[in-house]
Amino acid sequence: MIELLIRILIYGATVSGIWALVASGFTLIFGVSRILNFAHGAFFILGAYFGLALIHSVGLDPYLSTIVGMIMVGLLAVAAYRGMMAPIREHEVMIIIVTLALALILEQFILLTFGEHGVSFPSMIRGVVCIGGVPIPSIRLFTLVVAVVALILLGVFINRTRLGKEITAASQDAEAAMLVGLNIGKLFMITMFVSAILAALGGSLFAQIYAANPFLTLKALVFAFAIVILGGLGSVRGSVIAAFIVGYTLTIVISLYGARWSEFVAMIIIIAILIFRPTGLFGVKE
Amino acid sequence: MVFLIIVAVITPWFMPDAFTYILGLTCLFMILTVSWDLMVGYTGQVNLGHTVFVGIGAYTTALLQVPSRFQGTFLSPLAGMPEISIFATIFLGGIAAGIVGFIIGVITLRLRGWYFALVTAVLPLVFIETTVIWREIFGGEEGFSVGLEKALAPASTGKYYIALIIMLISVAIMFTIVNSRIGLKFKAIRDDLDLAEAVGIDTVKYKVLAFVISSFFAGIAGAAIVHYRVTVSPDLYDVPLMLLIILATVIGGLGTIFGPLIGGLIIYLTKYWWLKGAMATIAATGLPINDDIILYAILVVIAILAPEGLWIKAKKLAKR
Repeated sequence: MIELLIRILIYGATVSGIWALVASGFTLIFGVSRILNFAHGAFFILGAYFGLALIHSVGLDPYLSTIVGMIMVGLLAVAAYRGMMAPIREHEVMIIIVTLALALILEQFILLTFGEHGVSFPSMIRGVVCIGGVPIPSIRLFTLVVAVVALILLGVFINRTRLGKEITAASQDAEAAMLVGLNIGKLFMITMFVSAILAALGGSLFAQIYAANPFLTLKALVFAFAIVILGGLGSVRGSVIAAFIVGYTLTIVISLYGARWSEFVAMIIIIAILIFRPTGLFGVKE
Repeated sequence: MVFLIIVAVITPWFMPDAFTYILGLTCLFMILTVSWDLMVGYTGQVNLGHTVFVGIGAYTTALLQVPSRFQGTFLSPLAGMPEISIFATIFLGGIAAGIVGFIIGVITLRLRGWYFALVTAVLPLVFIETTVIWREIFGGEEGFSVGLEKALAPASTGKYYIALIIMLISVAIMFTIVNSRIGLKFKAIRDDLDLAEAVGIDTVKYKVLAFVISSFFAGIAGAAIVHYRVTVSPDLYDVPLMLLIILATVIGGLGTIFGPLIGGLIIYLTKYWWLKGAMATIAATGLPINDDIILYAILVVIAILAPEGLWIKAKKLAKR
């Protein structure tokens, strides 16, 4: 029993850390540009696949391939933003459709290139740590540390740097930000880049613990949606907190009933929030 | 219009049987595009889970026709259901989809903003999961067969005519709705939600109404597809079908009814008749491309070039 509790406590924290990375990226780009990026799940899992491809083709080590993979995903996201999203930003229906189509194109691409079976990413760190007599793979703890560091860096970037403050300004009022001379187009691109590399980092870490498969392109979105709706659309702080609530809920349900219930749990969370507190924990006004 | 119907009626006399079979499925697919348009094109609410209602209609009729699948599960009392005509269960499939649509609509459509799109996007994945969790009932990834004797008709031509009739009736009803006073209210909601509320339209009520009608016809089409193919499987819930509906409707033009009808015809035949042959050549090149990637890429290109809809864009160009 104690063993199960310790496992849930630690595994839950790891999973929550990964989903916090994914969800904060999703909510960041929404908060700034009001784009609901349905391709975010594709950026998440491409982080793992690009890293894997680099390991197998160029022979990079897991650290370097993760970083290079993140940058590649970031550049892909910026290209997608410039080419597909920026031209139709005013057409809200179309932007959803285009990003969903992009997600499916990337999913099919992964399917054709890497196959439909799960592939795992070589761990950055090996070994097992004993906590309270329970053996825990070190990569789980390492993942948590990486996720927390990345989230702290994100916080510093948004709150302490000039660029981050400009992004915050753009998210609060894009027109006013434009009036005081901020280059909105550039800020959106930077935000897109940051959002995508957060997702890609999440994907790389995810694949080191579980396995990457093409269908996560859409499944990752389910959890990201549940988290951002709970946290409040557009609130980065909210989605980090919500990620831990959703992450722990999922971990408990999965360890007690099995992974096939995870989508259900996410759905029930979403429905419950929409009924009782539609703005989430820290929603921004539409 | 009469001319088109005559063409539709005599086509099977000149075309191979396999084409008639696909054409019948195309008719049912056209119900999906038109019903999606009724929600998205007329009230402006982005429904990304239309296939959920296709699947609900499909599994409803399939299980009512093969109640023995309930045997040995927690629903085993249902296994002894009396036999009902397939047209009755197809109708019940529509009703079931409409009820689920009502519940989801009441929860999500009273909120403004993006919640409706987010929730409907998640739904297909949740419903696909149900087919795996209750595998004994829903048959898992492969689905199950309802039996040849439960087909719409014994031969392709007969099936095609029944599909055509179902499609014509459904589209006629939806066409009447959007051109009535109710349709005007839908459009008012789409064009300016605040103004619609200011002139006293109960916007939530009409959004939910549009969603229920749209879901009902998706359920009818899904149920008819089951008796057309004699099998039911989770692909009817799945996202690729959703994207195909979106693609066909966007190509035809949102908010036009006739546009999605033509878009549905073109896109379904393209995917299942013409692209099948072309794919062999593409596969030979060894590039990581398949027919889905081509269709999605077309969708992206059209959306970027004509975000207001191809139809409206074409009309604008013609005026100039």
